[in-house]
Amino acid sequence: MSFRLPLTTAIVSLALMQPALAHEQAGVAGGLVSGLLHPITGIDHLIAMVAVGIWGAQLGAPAIWILPITFPLVMAIGGVLGVLHVPLPFPEVMIAASAVILGIAVAARLRLPFAAAAIVVAVFAIFHGHAHGAELPRAANALAYGVGFVTATGLLHLCGIAIGTLTRWPAGERVIQGLGAGIAAIGCYFLAQGVGAFA
Amino acid sequence: MKPNILRAAIAALMLIAGANAAEAHIVAARLGDFYMGVVHPLTDLGDVVLWTATGVLAGTLGGAKGRWLIPVFPLGLLAGLLLGHVFGAVSTQLADAAMMLAIGMLLAAAAQVPTALLCAMAFVVAVIRGAANGADLAPETDRVLFAAGLACVGYAAITLTMALTAAFRRTAADSATSWRAIAVRALGGWIAAIGLMMASLALAS
Repeated sequence: MSFRLPLTTAIVSLALMQPALAHEQAGVAGGLVSGLLHPITGIDHLIAMVAVGIWGAQLGAPAIWILPITFPLVMAIGGVLGVLHVPLPFPEVMIAASAVILGIAVAARLRLPFAAAAIVVAVFAIFHGHAHGAELPRAANALAYGVGFVTATGLLHLCGIAIGTLTRWPAGERVIQGLGAGIAAIGCYFLAQGVGAFA
Repeated sequence: MKPNILRAAIAALMLIAGANAAEAHIVAARLGDFYMGVVHPLTDLGDVVLWTATGVLAGTLGGAKGRWLIPVFPLGLLAGLLLGHVFGAVSTQLADAAMMLAIGMLLAAAAQVPTALLCAMAFVVAVIRGAANGADLAPETDRVLFAAGLACVGYAAITLTMALTAAFRRTAADSATSWRAIAVRALGGWIAAIGLMMASLALAS
Protein backbone atom coordinates (compact mmCIF):
# COMPACT_ATOMS: atom_id res chain seq x y z
CA MET A 1 0.00 0.00 0.00
CA SER A 2 2.83 2.35 0.84
CA PHE A 3 3.95 2.38 -2.79
CA ARG A 4 0.57 2.97 -4.38
CA LEU A 5 -0.01 6.53 -3.29
CA PRO A 6 3.23 7.91 -4.76
CA LEU A 7 2.64 5.76 -7.82
CA THR A 8 -0.80 7.22 -8.38
CA THR A 9 0.57 10.70 -7.91
CA ALA A 10 3.35 10.04 -10.37
CA ILE A 11 0.96 8.62 -12.96
CA VAL A 12 -1.45 11.51 -12.65
CA SER A 13 1.29 14.12 -12.88
CA LEU A 14 2.87 12.33 -15.84
CA ALA A 15 -0.48 12.20 -17.59
CA LEU A 16 -0.82 15.92 -17.07
CA MET A 17 2.62 16.78 -18.39
CA GLN A 18 2.02 19.04 -21.29
CA PRO A 19 4.17 19.14 -24.39
CA ALA A 20 3.30 22.81 -24.50
CA LEU A 21 6.82 24.08 -25.09
CA ALA A 22 7.64 24.82 -28.66
CA HIS A 23 10.32 22.20 -28.74
CA GLU A 24 10.97 20.98 -32.23
CA GLN A 25 12.07 17.38 -32.18
CA ALA A 26 11.42 16.53 -35.77
CA GLY A 27 11.37 12.86 -36.56
CA VAL A 28 11.82 11.61 -33.00
CA ALA A 29 8.67 9.53 -32.94
CA GLY A 30 9.28 8.20 -36.42
CA GLY A 31 12.92 7.44 -35.67
CA LEU A 32 12.07 5.64 -32.44
CA VAL A 33 9.36 3.56 -34.06
CA SER A 34 11.39 2.58 -37.10
CA GLY A 35 14.42 1.83 -34.92
CA LEU A 36 12.35 -0.32 -32.60
CA LEU A 37 10.46 -2.13 -35.33
CA HIS A 38 13.30 -2.73 -37.76
CA PRO A 39 15.01 -5.54 -35.83
CA ILE A 40 11.67 -7.11 -34.92
CA THR A 41 9.94 -7.17 -38.29
CA GLY A 42 12.49 -9.29 -40.12
CA ILE A 43 11.94 -12.89 -39.06
CA ASP A 44 15.47 -13.91 -40.03
CA HIS A 45 16.92 -11.16 -37.80
CA LEU A 46 14.56 -11.87 -34.95
CA ILE A 47 15.25 -15.60 -34.67
CA ALA A 48 19.02 -15.09 -34.93
CA MET A 49 19.00 -12.47 -32.15
CA VAL A 50 16.97 -14.73 -29.87
CA ALA A 51 19.23 -17.68 -30.74
CA VAL A 52 22.30 -15.70 -29.64
CA GLY A 53 20.67 -15.08 -26.25
CA ILE A 54 19.69 -18.74 -25.83
CA TRP A 55 23.13 -19.95 -26.83
CA GLY A 56 24.76 -17.52 -24.40
CA ALA A 57 22.57 -18.84 -21.60
CA GLN A 58 23.46 -22.43 -22.56
CA LEU A 59 27.17 -21.65 -22.53
CA GLY A 60 26.85 -20.19 -19.04
CA ALA A 61 29.50 -17.93 -17.53
CA PRO A 62 31.29 -15.96 -18.86
CA ALA A 63 29.25 -15.86 -22.10
CA ILE A 64 25.94 -15.18 -20.35
CA TRP A 65 27.23 -11.92 -18.92
CA ILE A 66 29.71 -10.77 -21.54
CA LEU A 67 27.35 -11.13 -24.51
CA PRO A 68 24.62 -8.69 -23.33
CA ILE A 69 27.32 -6.07 -22.70
CA THR A 70 29.22 -6.38 -25.97
CA PHE A 71 26.61 -7.64 -28.44
CA PRO A 72 24.78 -4.33 -29.09
CA LEU A 73 28.15 -2.64 -29.44
CA VAL A 74 29.40 -5.07 -32.08
CA MET A 75 26.08 -4.74 -33.88
CA ALA A 76 26.46 -0.99 -33.84
CA ILE A 77 29.89 -1.38 -35.48
CA GLY A 78 28.17 -3.35 -38.23
CA GLY A 79 25.53 -0.63 -38.34
CA VAL A 80 28.23 1.99 -38.91
CA LEU A 81 29.58 -0.03 -41.84
CA GLY A 82 26.05 -0.26 -43.20
CA VAL A 83 25.34 3.44 -42.86
CA LEU A 84 28.60 4.30 -44.60
CA HIS A 85 27.71 1.72 -47.30
CA VAL A 86 30.86 -0.34 -46.88
CA PRO A 87 30.02 -3.46 -48.87
CA LEU A 88 30.11 -6.84 -47.12
CA PRO A 89 30.04 -10.13 -49.09
CA PHE A 90 26.69 -11.92 -49.44
CA PRO A 91 24.79 -10.12 -46.65
CA GLU A 92 21.48 -11.96 -47.13
CA VAL A 93 23.16 -15.37 -47.26
CA MET A 94 25.25 -14.66 -44.19
CA ILE A 95 22.23 -13.54 -42.18
CA ALA A 96 20.30 -16.66 -43.08
CA ALA A 97 23.38 -18.78 -42.41
CA SER A 98 23.71 -17.18 -38.98
CA ALA A 99 20.21 -18.38 -38.07
CA VAL A 100 21.05 -21.88 -39.33
CA ILE A 101 24.36 -22.14 -37.49
CA LEU A 102 23.14 -20.56 -34.24
CA GLY A 103 20.02 -22.74 -34.34
CA ILE A 104 22.14 -25.86 -34.80
CA ALA A 105 24.45 -24.73 -31.99
CA VAL A 106 21.46 -24.40 -29.66
CA ALA A 107 19.89 -27.68 -30.77
CA ALA A 108 23.15 -29.61 -30.41
CA ARG A 109 24.11 -27.79 -27.20
CA LEU A 110 27.37 -27.05 -28.93
CA ARG A 111 30.01 -26.15 -26.34
CA LEU A 112 32.66 -24.05 -28.00
CA PRO A 113 35.43 -22.36 -26.01
CA PHE A 114 34.33 -18.84 -25.16
CA ALA A 115 36.75 -17.10 -27.55
CA ALA A 116 35.53 -19.18 -30.50
CA ALA A 117 31.88 -18.60 -29.63
CA ALA A 118 32.52 -14.88 -29.25
CA ILE A 119 34.12 -14.69 -32.71
CA VAL A 120 31.22 -16.57 -34.33
CA VAL A 121 28.67 -14.29 -32.66
CA ALA A 122 30.67 -11.15 -33.46
CA VAL A 123 30.93 -11.95 -37.18
CA PHE A 124 27.20 -12.56 -37.42
CA ALA A 125 26.44 -9.47 -35.32
CA ILE A 126 28.37 -7.30 -37.77
CA PHE A 127 26.36 -8.67 -40.70
CA HIS A 128 23.06 -8.11 -38.88
CA GLY A 129 24.06 -4.59 -37.88
CA HIS A 130 25.17 -3.89 -41.44
CA ALA A 131 21.75 -4.85 -42.80
CA HIS A 132 20.01 -2.54 -40.31
CA GLY A 133 22.36 0.32 -41.07
CA ALA A 134 22.09 -0.02 -44.84
CA GLU A 135 18.27 -0.04 -44.82
CA LEU A 136 18.04 2.97 -42.55
CA PRO A 137 15.46 5.64 -43.31
CA ARG A 138 17.29 8.86 -44.17
CA ALA A 139 14.85 11.31 -42.68
CA ALA A 140 14.74 9.83 -39.23
CA ASN A 141 16.25 11.49 -36.18
CA ALA A 142 19.62 9.77 -35.72
CA LEU A 143 19.55 9.55 -31.95
CA ALA A 144 15.97 8.31 -31.82
CA TYR A 145 16.71 5.64 -34.41
CA GLY A 146 19.80 4.54 -32.45
CA VAL A 147 17.87 4.35 -29.17
CA GLY A 148 15.06 2.32 -30.73
CA PHE A 149 17.40 0.02 -32.62
CA VAL A 150 19.65 -0.75 -29.65
CA THR A 151 16.72 -1.19 -27.29
CA ALA A 152 14.96 -3.63 -29.59
CA THR A 153 18.14 -5.63 -30.15
CA GLY A 154 18.93 -5.72 -26.45
CA LEU A 155 15.42 -6.78 -25.54
CA LEU A 156 15.46 -9.59 -28.11
CA HIS A 157 18.74 -10.73 -26.62
CA LEU A 158 17.18 -10.64 -23.13
CA CYS A 159 14.25 -12.71 -24.44
CA GLY A 160 16.77 -15.30 -25.57
CA ILE A 161 18.48 -15.34 -22.17
CA ALA A 162 15.10 -15.66 -20.44
CA ILE A 163 14.21 -18.61 -22.67
CA GLY A 164 17.70 -19.97 -22.05
CA THR A 165 17.13 -20.16 -18.29
CA LEU A 166 14.89 -23.14 -19.08
CA THR A 167 18.15 -25.13 -19.31
CA ARG A 168 18.02 -25.46 -15.54
CA TRP A 169 15.38 -28.13 -15.91
CA PRO A 170 15.90 -31.30 -17.95
CA ALA A 171 12.55 -30.96 -19.71
CA GLY A 172 13.29 -27.31 -20.45
CA GLU A 173 16.57 -28.33 -22.03
CA ARG A 174 14.62 -30.50 -24.49
CA VAL A 175 12.24 -27.65 -25.27
CA ILE A 176 15.19 -25.37 -26.02
CA GLN A 177 16.82 -27.92 -28.28
CA GLY A 178 13.53 -28.16 -30.15
CA LEU A 179 13.46 -24.36 -30.46
CA GLY A 180 17.01 -24.42 -31.77
CA ALA A 181 16.04 -26.95 -34.41
CA GLY A 182 13.08 -24.76 -35.37
CA ILE A 183 15.33 -21.72 -35.69
CA ALA A 184 17.74 -23.69 -37.85
CA ALA A 185 14.85 -24.84 -40.07
CA ILE A 186 13.56 -21.28 -40.57
CA GLY A 187 17.14 -20.24 -41.26
CA CYS A 188 17.35 -22.93 -43.95
CA TYR A 189 14.27 -21.47 -45.62
CA PHE A 190 15.82 -18.00 -45.74
CA LEU A 191 19.14 -19.47 -46.83
CA ALA A 192 17.46 -21.19 -49.76
CA GLN A 193 15.73 -17.92 -50.59
CA GLY A 194 19.04 -16.07 -50.28
CA VAL A 195 20.94 -18.28 -52.70
CA GLY A 196 18.05 -18.07 -55.12
CA ALA A 197 16.57 -21.58 -54.97
CA PHE A 198 13.19 -19.95 -55.38
CA ALA A 199 12.12 -16.40 -55.88
CA MET B 1 -10.50 3.06 2.52
CA LYS B 2 -8.62 6.09 3.76
CA PRO B 3 -5.74 5.85 1.27
CA ASN B 4 -8.33 5.64 -1.53
CA ILE B 5 -9.89 8.95 -0.51
CA LEU B 6 -6.43 10.47 -0.18
CA ARG B 7 -5.47 9.21 -3.61
CA ALA B 8 -8.64 10.59 -5.14
CA ALA B 9 -8.03 13.92 -3.45
CA ILE B 10 -4.49 14.11 -4.78
CA ALA B 11 -5.61 13.15 -8.26
CA ALA B 12 -8.28 15.84 -8.14
CA LEU B 13 -5.75 18.42 -6.93
CA MET B 14 -3.36 17.54 -9.71
CA LEU B 15 -6.17 17.84 -12.24
CA ILE B 16 -7.03 21.31 -10.97
CA ALA B 17 -3.37 22.34 -11.04
CA GLY B 18 -3.07 20.98 -14.55
CA ALA B 19 -6.10 22.88 -15.75
CA ASN B 20 -4.52 26.11 -14.57
CA ALA B 21 -1.23 25.41 -16.27
CA ALA B 22 -3.00 24.84 -19.56
CA GLU B 23 -4.35 28.37 -19.50
CA ALA B 24 -0.77 29.69 -19.38
CA HIS B 25 -1.18 31.51 -16.07
CA ILE B 26 2.38 30.62 -15.13
CA VAL B 27 3.75 32.30 -18.18
CA ALA B 28 1.76 35.40 -17.37
CA ALA B 29 3.41 35.45 -13.93
CA ARG B 30 6.83 35.72 -15.62
CA LEU B 31 8.01 32.48 -14.13
CA GLY B 32 7.35 30.63 -17.34
CA ASP B 33 10.96 30.79 -18.43
CA PHE B 34 12.05 29.10 -15.21
CA TYR B 35 9.77 26.17 -15.95
CA MET B 36 10.90 26.21 -19.54
CA GLY B 37 14.46 25.77 -18.32
CA VAL B 38 13.31 22.87 -16.15
CA VAL B 39 11.29 21.06 -18.78
CA HIS B 40 13.29 21.84 -21.91
CA PRO B 41 16.09 19.30 -21.29
CA LEU B 42 13.63 16.65 -20.12
CA THR B 43 11.91 16.73 -23.49
CA ASP B 44 15.13 16.28 -25.45
CA LEU B 45 16.26 12.73 -26.05
CA GLY B 46 19.92 13.78 -26.22
CA ASP B 47 19.76 15.34 -22.77
CA VAL B 48 17.92 12.39 -21.28
CA VAL B 49 20.39 9.81 -22.60
CA LEU B 50 23.55 11.78 -21.78
CA TRP B 51 22.46 12.95 -18.34
CA THR B 52 21.40 9.45 -17.42
CA ALA B 53 24.70 8.04 -18.65
CA THR B 54 26.68 10.56 -16.62
CA GLY B 55 24.64 9.96 -13.49
CA VAL B 56 24.85 6.18 -13.79
CA LEU B 57 28.62 6.32 -14.31
CA ALA B 58 29.02 8.51 -11.20
CA GLY B 59 26.68 6.26 -9.24
CA THR B 60 28.66 3.12 -10.05
CA LEU B 61 31.88 4.80 -8.91
CA GLY B 62 30.38 5.41 -5.48
CA GLY B 63 29.44 8.42 -3.43
CA ALA B 64 32.96 9.58 -2.61
CA LYS B 65 33.70 10.30 -6.28
CA GLY B 66 30.18 10.96 -7.49
CA ARG B 67 29.33 13.72 -5.04
CA TRP B 68 31.70 16.06 -6.86
CA LEU B 69 29.26 16.12 -9.75
CA ILE B 70 26.55 17.70 -7.61
CA PRO B 71 28.18 21.16 -8.00
CA VAL B 72 30.14 20.43 -11.20
CA PHE B 73 27.23 19.40 -13.40
CA PRO B 74 24.87 22.38 -12.84
CA LEU B 75 27.84 24.77 -13.11
CA GLY B 76 28.78 23.14 -16.40
CA LEU B 77 25.24 23.64 -17.68
CA LEU B 78 25.44 27.33 -16.78
CA ALA B 79 28.83 27.64 -18.47
CA GLY B 80 27.47 25.98 -21.60
CA LEU B 81 24.48 28.30 -21.60
CA LEU B 82 26.79 31.31 -21.37
CA LEU B 83 29.12 29.98 -24.06
CA GLY B 84 26.22 28.93 -26.28
CA HIS B 85 26.54 31.90 -28.61
CA VAL B 86 30.24 31.14 -29.14
CA PHE B 87 29.39 27.82 -30.75
CA GLY B 88 26.62 29.48 -32.68
CA ALA B 89 24.26 27.26 -34.60
CA VAL B 90 26.72 24.37 -34.90
CA SER B 91 24.91 21.13 -34.20
CA THR B 92 26.13 19.31 -31.11
CA GLN B 93 25.17 15.95 -32.59
CA LEU B 94 28.71 14.67 -33.10
CA ALA B 95 29.90 15.85 -29.69
CA ASP B 96 26.84 14.21 -28.10
CA ALA B 97 27.57 10.95 -29.88
CA ALA B 98 31.24 11.00 -28.88
CA MET B 99 30.39 11.58 -25.22
CA MET B 100 27.78 8.81 -25.29
CA LEU B 101 30.34 6.44 -26.77
CA ALA B 102 33.03 7.41 -24.23
CA ILE B 103 30.81 7.21 -21.16
CA GLY B 104 29.11 4.04 -22.38
CA MET B 105 32.45 2.32 -22.94
CA LEU B 106 33.68 3.30 -19.46
CA LEU B 107 30.44 1.96 -17.97
CA ALA B 108 30.59 -1.27 -19.96
CA ALA B 109 34.22 -1.85 -18.98
CA ALA B 110 33.38 -1.08 -15.32
CA ALA B 111 36.47 1.12 -15.34
CA GLN B 112 37.62 2.77 -12.13
CA VAL B 113 37.58 6.31 -13.46
CA PRO B 114 39.62 8.79 -11.39
CA THR B 115 37.66 11.61 -9.81
CA ALA B 116 39.31 14.31 -11.91
CA LEU B 117 38.47 12.54 -15.18
CA LEU B 118 34.90 11.92 -14.03
CA CYS B 119 34.45 15.59 -13.17
CA ALA B 120 36.02 16.67 -16.46
CA MET B 121 33.74 14.39 -18.51
CA ALA B 122 30.65 15.49 -16.61
CA PHE B 123 31.65 19.12 -17.12
CA VAL B 124 32.11 18.58 -20.86
CA VAL B 125 28.73 16.87 -21.11
CA ALA B 126 27.12 19.69 -19.16
CA VAL B 127 28.75 22.39 -21.31
CA ILE B 128 27.67 20.68 -24.55
CA ARG B 129 24.12 20.17 -23.38
CA GLY B 130 23.91 23.63 -21.82
CA ALA B 131 24.94 25.13 -25.15
CA ALA B 132 22.46 22.93 -27.00
CA ASN B 133 19.67 23.96 -24.66
CA GLY B 134 20.55 27.61 -25.06
CA ALA B 135 20.76 27.37 -28.83
CA ASP B 136 17.02 27.34 -29.51
CA LEU B 137 16.01 30.04 -27.06
CA ALA B 138 13.70 32.70 -28.37
CA PRO B 139 15.00 36.27 -28.00
CA GLU B 140 12.21 37.23 -25.61
CA THR B 141 13.12 34.45 -23.16
CA ASP B 142 14.34 35.62 -19.76
CA ARG B 143 17.79 34.04 -19.74
CA VAL B 144 18.33 34.31 -15.99
CA LEU B 145 15.14 32.44 -15.20
CA PHE B 146 15.88 29.87 -17.90
CA ALA B 147 19.41 29.34 -16.53
CA ALA B 148 18.08 28.97 -12.99
CA GLY B 149 15.59 26.34 -14.11
CA LEU B 150 18.21 24.50 -16.14
CA ALA B 151 20.68 24.44 -13.23
CA CYS B 152 17.99 23.23 -10.83
CA VAL B 153 16.89 20.39 -13.06
CA GLY B 154 20.51 19.46 -13.77
CA TYR B 155 21.21 19.26 -10.05
CA ALA B 156 18.08 17.22 -9.39
CA ALA B 157 18.54 14.85 -12.32
CA ILE B 158 22.21 14.09 -11.72
CA THR B 159 21.75 13.63 -7.97
CA LEU B 160 18.71 11.38 -8.35
CA THR B 161 20.32 9.25 -11.07
CA MET B 162 23.46 8.81 -8.98
CA ALA B 163 21.48 7.91 -5.88
CA LEU B 164 19.26 5.45 -7.74
CA THR B 165 22.27 3.76 -9.35
CA ALA B 166 24.13 3.53 -6.07
CA ALA B 167 21.05 2.06 -4.40
CA PHE B 168 20.60 -0.39 -7.27
CA ARG B 169 24.22 -1.52 -7.09
CA ARG B 170 23.85 -1.74 -3.28
CA THR B 171 27.56 -1.89 -2.43
CA ALA B 172 30.68 -0.81 -4.22
CA ALA B 173 32.27 -4.13 -3.35
CA ASP B 174 29.63 -6.11 -5.26
CA SER B 175 31.11 -9.06 -7.07
CA ALA B 176 31.82 -8.30 -10.70
CA THR B 177 29.41 -10.95 -11.93
CA SER B 178 26.32 -10.17 -9.85
CA TRP B 179 23.35 -9.54 -12.10
CA ARG B 180 23.01 -6.00 -10.81
CA ALA B 181 26.55 -5.11 -11.83
CA ILE B 182 25.99 -6.81 -15.20
CA ALA B 183 22.76 -4.90 -15.77
CA VAL B 184 24.55 -1.59 -15.24
CA ARG B 185 27.41 -2.62 -17.53
CA ALA B 186 24.95 -3.79 -20.19
CA LEU B 187 23.27 -0.39 -20.01
CA GLY B 188 26.69 1.11 -20.67
CA GLY B 189 27.11 -1.15 -23.69
CA TRP B 190 23.72 -0.03 -25.02
CA ILE B 191 24.57 3.65 -24.53
CA ALA B 192 27.90 3.20 -26.30
CA ALA B 193 26.12 1.43 -29.17
CA ILE B 194 23.62 4.29 -29.42
CA GLY B 195 26.49 6.77 -29.53
CA LEU B 196 28.20 4.80 -32.27
CA MET B 197 25.05 4.59 -34.40
CA MET B 198 24.36 8.28 -33.89
CA ALA B 199 27.90 9.27 -34.81
CA SER B 200 27.79 7.32 -38.06
CA LEU B 201 24.39 8.72 -38.96
CA ALA B 202 25.58 12.24 -38.23
CA LEU B 203 28.65 11.68 -40.39
CA ALA B 204 26.69 10.11 -43.23
CA SER B 205 23.98 12.73 -43.47
